[in-house]
Amino acid sequence: MQPAIEVSHVTKEYRLGALQSLKQTALNAGARLLGRRAEERPPFKALDDVSFSIQPGDVAGIIGHNGAGKSTLLKLLARISTPTRGKVSVNGRIAPLIEVGAGFVPDFTGRENVYLNGSILGMSRKAIDLKFDDIVDFAEMAEFIDTPVKRYSSGMQVKLAFAVATSIEAEILIVDEVLAVGDLAFQRKCFDRMEDLIKRQGRTVLLVSHNIRQVERLCRSVMLLDHGRIVALGGAKEVCTMFYERNDQKIGEQLRASASRQTRQATSSGEVELLSIRLLDADDQALSHVQHAKDVTVELQFAAHTKLSNVIFGVGVHTTDFLYLADKDTEDDGIVYDEVLPGQITVRCRIREFPILPGTYCFRVGVAVGPVYRIAFYAENLHPFQVTGRHSTRPQGFFPLELEWSTSPQILPAERGATTLNAE
Amino acid sequence: MASTLADLITHRSLIATLAWKNIAIRYKQAYLGIAWAVIKPVTLMLIFTLMKTFVGIDSGDIPYPILTFAALVPWIFFQESASEGVNSVVGNTALIKKIYFPREIFPITAVATKLIELGINSLILAALMAWYGRVPGILVLWVPLIVAYTVLVALSIAFVGSALNVYYRDVGQALPVLLGLMMYASPVIYPLGLVKDKLLVQQAAGEWSQLLYTAYTLNPLAGIIDTFQNVVLRDSAPDFGALLPGALAVAVLLPLSYAFFKRAESDFADVI
Repeated sequence: MQPAIEVSHVTKEYRLGALQSLKQTALNAGARLLGRRAEERPPFKALDDVSFSIQPGDVAGIIGHNGAGKSTLLKLLARISTPTRGKVSVNGRIAPLIEVGAGFVPDFTGRENVYLNGSILGMSRKAIDLKFDDIVDFAEMAEFIDTPVKRYSSGMQVKLAFAVATSIEAEILIVDEVLAVGDLAFQRKCFDRMEDLIKRQGRTVLLVSHNIRQVERLCRSVMLLDHGRIVALGGAKEVCTMFYERNDQKIGEQLRASASRQTRQATSSGEVELLSIRLLDADDQALSHVQHAKDVTVELQFAAHTKLSNVIFGVGVHTTDFLYLADKDTEDDGIVYDEVLPGQITVRCRIREFPILPGTYCFRVGVAVGPVYRIAFYAENLHPFQVTGRHSTRPQGFFPLELEWSTSPQILPAERGATTLNAE
Repeated sequence: MASTLADLITHRSLIATLAWKNIAIRYKQAYLGIAWAVIKPVTLMLIFTLMKTFVGIDSGDIPYPILTFAALVPWIFFQESASEGVNSVVGNTALIKKIYFPREIFPITAVATKLIELGINSLILAALMAWYGRVPGILVLWVPLIVAYTVLVALSIAFVGSALNVYYRDVGQALPVLLGLMMYASPVIYPLGLVKDKLLVQQAAGEWSQLLYTAYTLNPLAGIIDTFQNVVLRDSAPDFGALLPGALAVAVLLPLSYAFFKRAESDFADVI
């Protein structure tokens, strides 16, 4: 079958810096005419010899850090820009949802903008007429459709734009980060609509996103770009796992680099401050990373500047994007320290069989004092650490599920099935 | 060129929608609305008429106000569509960077938009002629052809100008000045007949007279304005001698201008 998208040896270069002056352009043209080399800055390669092909009906994701070349690639596919070298061929009508709402005119009403945007995206007037009610319904805009768009909230604009963009009938959909629009309920709706387009209508879809979980869920194959090159290309799960690992490393490095700054961001009443955090194993040896399901001791060193009474200490773990996974303080375990004298104090707590699955996490630490447990110290994003596991592929989620399976009537598992179940 | 025409046909509804957008944006929150399209030529006509009382321009048997207004109708159409066309690509940066469709749609839409204002101004001209009791003859049927030709002239400037403007915004700044000068080199304030009389009949520049006249009519607007006045006001056939040099110039420049635009367009999104 002819591929829907074929990209062969594509390189895209940009000249960095400001546009050349007229004089420089003339001088360069003169130099070239005389057969001499023109003075030019070296070009920046946004894409470097990229080749791949996508079959019709395939759902492919493109992931990578900022500046990896994702958007450049999409622009080439959507014909907005042309490659410096190489060839891009696209078979079928392509609908670029590169930024929904491009071309919305603030002075126009919602209705007028639906027609305008629809025809910009290549729909005929008749096609828009047919879909109009659908679009308005989906965007939940019936009440405001004759109000100028400039009076809309930004969320309303994006909802309407998304509804128009996803009603185009094209064989190939290019989607760039549009799923994160509107409030949670609408995001859910957008996601469902994308899934409908992808899974039920069998369109070829190219999805670019920083939301790796979304990519993992929607896409069959994923391409990981880094500095304009394809680093990995394959099944969604493997490539996403690889990306997570690279990402964890990078975040860890960044967080450690800025660790000294982090403590300064702590809120403190001045009575007590955190000096250090260490991770220790069972033999009190410092650890660089934590092993999943192994015991680990967190050692916190504080300096108390005045005499503190009624003190409780708390420790929590959160993800690098501040999802608070778990926490506990001494009071939860029935401990309140009556009195802490000025000077250094070391607090140790042992986490039995560290339960969180592999990934990069940070600590948050708090100290509360006095009869009403006033916060004397609180800081988060502390001491980034990596959790490693035994498995090569990264498990989904944060916590392992211990399950025992049974059926009734009882069915004996086949040998092959049994090994899969035992793998955990 | 043939593929361009095919493109235009497939994208005609887009062009219509964009033209409607241009018109609607311009007048949406203006109290006088579309009347603004008329104010410019009418004001110029009044100024020229006032000026004529000082300097004396021979307008033959035609009342000067309608003679000059009949010149202003095609002139302002050309001037506005050329400058609108030149700014059309830069003015649609958001679309250029986000969505692909053939880029020549922008200058073409800009020119098409101005057709509507041309229509309105033609109505004003008709009203003026009725006021002066003049009725056009059958030759007025030439007008659509002249308008089509003017569109081509405006596009010759719009294609190359809008592409250059992406790289050097100076073009957009310089154009109003150049067009302002060009008005004096076109028979807007004075009829072409005066130039012809001076150069061809009186041979005012000696042996250079014929050459100078050809140079003058290389400006397509000379032929356009003269023909427009001929068929609308004088009920006389187009003066092909005055049309020919300009038409030849357009026949050479339009393909070049379009080729330049097509070569530059693939970089628009990167440079703009």
